[in-house]
Amino acid sequence: MSEETSQVVQEPAQEAAPAPKAPREGLALGLAFAGWFLPGLGHALQRMWGRALIVFVGVGLLVVVGVSMRGNIFVSRGNDAFDTLGYLADLGTGSFYFVARGMERGGTDVSHANGDYGTRFLATAGVLNLLAALHAYEAARGRKA
Amino acid sequence: MNGLHGLVLTHFQAFLLFAAVISVAFGFLGRRQPKDRVKYILWSFFLFLLVGVGIGWAMYPFSR
Repeated sequence: MSEETSQVVQEPAQEAAPAPKAPREGLALGLAFAGWFLPGLGHALQRMWGRALIVFVGVGLLVVVGVSMRGNIFVSRGNDAFDTLGYLADLGTGSFYFVARGMERGGTDVSHANGDYGTRFLATAGVLNLLAALHAYEAARGRKA
Repeated sequence: MNGLHGLVLTHFQAFLLFAAVISVAFGFLGRRQPKDRVKYILWSFFLFLLVGVGIGWAMYPFSR
């Protein structure tokens, strides 16, 4: 490598100054939080109406069916790691977690397969909502459309 | 809500409902064009059924 070339390499690039990303990053995080708190809100605020509706209805349907099948809604005071993981998954539904707690009338019944299916529906609703919130975050950053 | 409480679904009904909801959600989140979404939803739903029924049959010899 010649001396001239090495000087060019060592010089800092003046023109390639990165654009400030903080406002967009903050907005994206806010939209992700909104999407987590109320399923579909992160997409609705970006005028992605179809996705917002599908996420809201899909997560809501899974929660309602899960509770109706007397699935287990985990609480923060878990006995083991699986309870904690279940709680985190259920909490993924955001405000719907508290709706599910409010809807729970007869308690859980996982002694039958039906209650066990309900538990899976509730966990799936949470994970699906987290995925949707992540999608809203990526869409706000311009990575996905 | 009391009308729905105590909802009983068979394993296969729960499986169909799960596959349908997840396929539609994945289709809408993963694809932008309506035609692509429909193709993705149908394909995803079919694969859910195929894998679910396939795993069920794979476990059949151990069920007795």
